[in-house]
Amino acid sequence: MGVPARPRLELMAADGRLDPRALAALWAGKLTARVSRGLRLGGGTTLPGDVSRFIDPHILRKLAVGFEQGTMVVTGTNGKTTTAALLRRILEVEGRQALANQAGANLIFGVTAAVVDRARWNGRVPASVGLFEIDEASLPLLVADTAPGTIVVTNLFRDQLDRYGELETAAGHIRRALRQGPEGVTAVLNADDPMVASLGDDLPRVVYAGIDDPALLQPELRHGADARFCPRCGSALEFSGVYFGHVGHYRCPRGDFARPRPTVRATRVAFEGIDAMRLTVTDGRASVEVKAPLSGLYNAYNVVLAMAAATAVGIPLPKAAAALTDFTPAFGRMERVVIDGRPAVLLLAKNPTGFNEVLRTAIAFGEGHTFVLALNDRIADGQDVSWIWDVDFEQLRDVADHIVVTGDRAADLRVRLKYAEVPADRVEVIDSWREALHEGAALTPPDQTLFVLPTYTAMLELRSVLTKEGVLQPYWSR
Amino acid sequence: MPSPRRLRIAHLYADEMNIYGDRGNLLTLRKRAEWRGIAVDVTAIGRDSAPELDAFDLLFWGGGQDRDQQLVFADLTVNKAEGIRAAVARGAVVLAVCGGYQLLGNYYVTADGQKLPGLGLLDTYTVPGPRRNIGNVLIDAGRLGITPPTLVGFENHSGKTYLGPGLQPLGRVIRGTGNNGEDGTEGVAAGNVFGTYLHGSLLPKNPQLADLLLARALGETLAPLDSTVELAAHAMVAARVLR
Repeated sequence: MGVPARPRLELMAADGRLDPRALAALWAGKLTARVSRGLRLGGGTTLPGDVSRFIDPHILRKLAVGFEQGTMVVTGTNGKTTTAALLRRILEVEGRQALANQAGANLIFGVTAAVVDRARWNGRVPASVGLFEIDEASLPLLVADTAPGTIVVTNLFRDQLDRYGELETAAGHIRRALRQGPEGVTAVLNADDPMVASLGDDLPRVVYAGIDDPALLQPELRHGADARFCPRCGSALEFSGVYFGHVGHYRCPRGDFARPRPTVRATRVAFEGIDAMRLTVTDGRASVEVKAPLSGLYNAYNVVLAMAAATAVGIPLPKAAAALTDFTPAFGRMERVVIDGRPAVLLLAKNPTGFNEVLRTAIAFGEGHTFVLALNDRIADGQDVSWIWDVDFEQLRDVADHIVVTGDRAADLRVRLKYAEVPADRVEVIDSWREALHEGAALTPPDQTLFVLPTYTAMLELRSVLTKEGVLQPYWSR
Repeated sequence: MPSPRRLRIAHLYADEMNIYGDRGNLLTLRKRAEWRGIAVDVTAIGRDSAPELDAFDLLFWGGGQDRDQQLVFADLTVNKAEGIRAAVARGAVVLAVCGGYQLLGNYYVTADGQKLPGLGLLDTYTVPGPRRNIGNVLIDAGRLGITPPTLVGFENHSGKTYLGPGLQPLGRVIRGTGNNGEDGTEGVAAGNVFGTYLHGSLLPKNPQLADLLLARALGETLAPLDSTVELAAHAMVAARVLR
């Protein structure tokens, strides 16, 4: 299979030049980006998009025509940013320049802002591929605007129910987008997530990706898993093994539905520390060894999905594998910094499954003894903090020596840790972001690493402290 | 010499209706009992099985995603109604949150106009509302004789629930929507049967309500526990919604 035909977009101007309205939208957006950067309003990751779309609602559609090799989109609950970053690395090593949106700025305005900001003043885009991570609810809009050739769906977990309603709704958005997608769109789906796999029904082009390493399968479905019922008949799915949450090997007992056999699959996954893993990945034609500076099963899925997406655009597996060796993790996803002389790792933890896997990774290598946990309840975090009760903080009871709790909802986390029976003298609530980080570092013994686990906006707050103190670069200048 | 104390909790439709935070409610009940030397068994009750529900002291029923909630209707009246009624008649405590609360009533009309029969345990009904009500809630539940008299939680529902004449709400809304956004009521408290839209989770930040449920389920007065941490979270949410 070669590169799928570039989907056609209806052009506003057949010669590729922008009409005056689009130009006005572009310029207004670009100026907004400059001003907000100048004023340090947080890098202007979405505001230019709002401005541009207000002036010309079709601005993204008009600019996206310029991506000669089309656009690729990554959606799902967890892993969007890392999967997109891995894919970007593969594309760039292959000589395909990708224009991507800022990590986390994954509503349509964030995508628009990124394209407007990077486009030239005449509307030309300085890249051959548009590579966007997008929230499920915004996917239909993005598909309408950019007619992506490849859509990657990582997984579907409960996340931010207050904002989007329910899992089924999220799946519905994606299903609709895949149906309305351009002819020739390839869906790259996680075969091991039942609801994601079911999105492939009657789609002409699907690449399923999954993990086939029996050594990592756990026997039973733990609590907190969703999507455990057959999408066709509602019977409880039978799992012969689970990797995490509801992700694993499953079938409907009535024979209506089963895990599709993945085309691109990891047959062996070995973790070699908190930021090193080795995978054997095969697509039936080639079998390759992949080394990536990441850890955790969730990241193994990100790697397999990125490689599957690469094969969907004609990049052979060995080339994709080679590109990943010197990959740099996306910001806040396993970011290493030094605070007051202590090594620290920033790990975004935004929902139960993500949090559990991050905790598991931190603990698995015997390194996690001191933690800063930061919980916010702003729009981007989800305003409902009930989800912390589905996180297995019990894992910390026997390993954590010190836990500093901070954030707008630190009080809720403090209660959660009490009911996980973490001894009270090991937990400290500190409201100030800055003091929480320094106290965490002070509590970390010289030979150990501080683990900082924030929700999304808490991570922005903590990073901003670290940026001010010169420990980190601002994220928009990376 | 008191007999060995044991609390038996049934988690109704544990697989089908377990949306965010129900584990917080169950964990709070469990730990607050265990910390007082009371052993706790939690039994997950699924579809099909028809266990002796009247053997339980406390029935907990959480909320579900719409699709999962549909799976429950067929089972409810056939396999569970009688057992739940018998348990309530015997004095068992029921705590039903969100979806479970809606299903306690006479009927429930879905967003697409389908009228589904509820358990009929309480004279309430639920109809679809024009929008989803989402946010932090503060109610006055002083009628229950709890200290502090307020309850805090998070609501996320589009259904509007109405109480029949003679039914008392769990509390009066201070901030938030509550049952229907019209009559200022939130939830229901009828004897030992409690229904509410509050999650967030409900019980961890309202330890006084957790203790009330435990005391009623066990039929005894409970020794006090230090709840400083829980009440700090309670006060933090109350202060935020009043701000």
